[in-house]
Amino acid sequence: MSGTKGIQARIKSVKNTKKVTKAMEMVAAAKMRRAIDAVLKTRTYASLSWEIVLRLSQAVNNEHPLLTKIITTGKQKKDVPSSKIAVILFTSNRGLCGGFNSNIINELYKTIKNTVKSENVDLILVGKKGVTAHNHYKYNIEAEFVKPDIASGVDDVVPIVKLVIKDYLAGKYSKIIIAYTDYINATKQMPRVKQLLPVNVNKEDEYLGTVDVGENNASSHSVIEEKPKKKLNDSNEYIFEPSPHEVLDEMVPRLIEVQIFQALLESNASEHSARMTAMHQATDAASDMIDELTLTYNKVRQAGITAEIAEIGAGVNAMN
Amino acid sequence: MSNLTIQFEIVTPERVILSEQITQVVVPTKAGEITILPNHIPLVSSLTPGVIIAKKEDGSDVIMAMSGGFVEVLHGKVVILADTAERADELDEERIVEAREVAKKAKEEVKHVDREQFANISAKLQKELARERALKKWRKL
Repeated sequence: MSGTKGIQARIKSVKNTKKVTKAMEMVAAAKMRRAIDAVLKTRTYASLSWEIVLRLSQAVNNEHPLLTKIITTGKQKKDVPSSKIAVILFTSNRGLCGGFNSNIINELYKTIKNTVKSENVDLILVGKKGVTAHNHYKYNIEAEFVKPDIASGVDDVVPIVKLVIKDYLAGKYSKIIIAYTDYINATKQMPRVKQLLPVNVNKEDEYLGTVDVGENNASSHSVIEEKPKKKLNDSNEYIFEPSPHEVLDEMVPRLIEVQIFQALLESNASEHSARMTAMHQATDAASDMIDELTLTYNKVRQAGITAEIAEIGAGVNAMN
Repeated sequence: MSNLTIQFEIVTPERVILSEQITQVVVPTKAGEITILPNHIPLVSSLTPGVIIAKKEDGSDVIMAMSGGFVEVLHGKVVILADTAERADELDEERIVEAREVAKKAKEEVKHVDREQFANISAKLQKELARERALKKWRKL
């Protein structure tokens, strides 16, 4: 009967693990549903507001000190001597979600490695696991924010927005980049790195993918796409009421806030789906392992019985 | 004029309230109420809590309560990014009156406490007032 005990113990432990992963899968699924609801709701709003930012960035030239700096930095870049950039990095708080965190961090690394030295990158972490980026690529950590697992409202990102806008206006950074995972569907999530400030109009595809790749993009997009696209390059003279200064002062930070909030929601939805998938796979793997171990166990047991019978038979033969 | 229309969209972070072809829309901006007709010059403005009235192609009005946001007018298109908004036909009067009373009370209580809190509550009160106005307008139709 040698070995059966050990195998039995292993089966038991794998079964326990399976229970845990199963439970985690269920929890992730429940959270995912909520996160997805939230992300789909705000997508139209976020993509519309991003379009407005882009159009404004084209139309506005020197209307407003804050805005010119925020929006038309293309011309002003020489005034900003800083070679530093800030990256708002969205990761999860906990592990066990497959490649979720490493995907986004690798994507970030790939995107910026050719243009920026790692000591010039300041990370603004949202989510505990972002520390890995610091450990691996020697980026500095500028700030770390607690990421709510279920986002309750735009208030969640207000401190981040304030920090970013303040530092950007002070000329501390020449670029603000936002790295998050875009939720496409339950099985597919895309890590994305997008430039938030200065608003970059020329890279249209960069922004298009970000906010509204998903089931409902067709509806929100088709409306906007055809006409304004062409007009983006025309001179789009806007009237501002009451005054450009007042309107933009209020509007631009708000629109940036929406972008960051959307990134948080996308990231949350992606995280929970990634975790669900990972846990599902773990559960499946545990089932496979149990089957295999049971087979081995039965074989060993049978071998033991056969050996015993053979021994008894041999004993009887010897006595005769 | 009547065959000219504007593509009108009003969205909040929660949902799309209305997306339709309309012939005109009245919005409350910070500088006062304005009516946007087809071929309006491009305009960006911030909005105060108030009532939005959109006239549909068939001549009927859609009345909405909105609690602040932005409006962007493009050629043949109006986009409103509202913080919150509801259509008047979805509003429930009793609840509004109740909410307004609560907001009023709260406003009086904290008047001399905290500026930020005060601003929050004022905004809430304005929102409820806007809702009520929207509802009244809708009733009159």
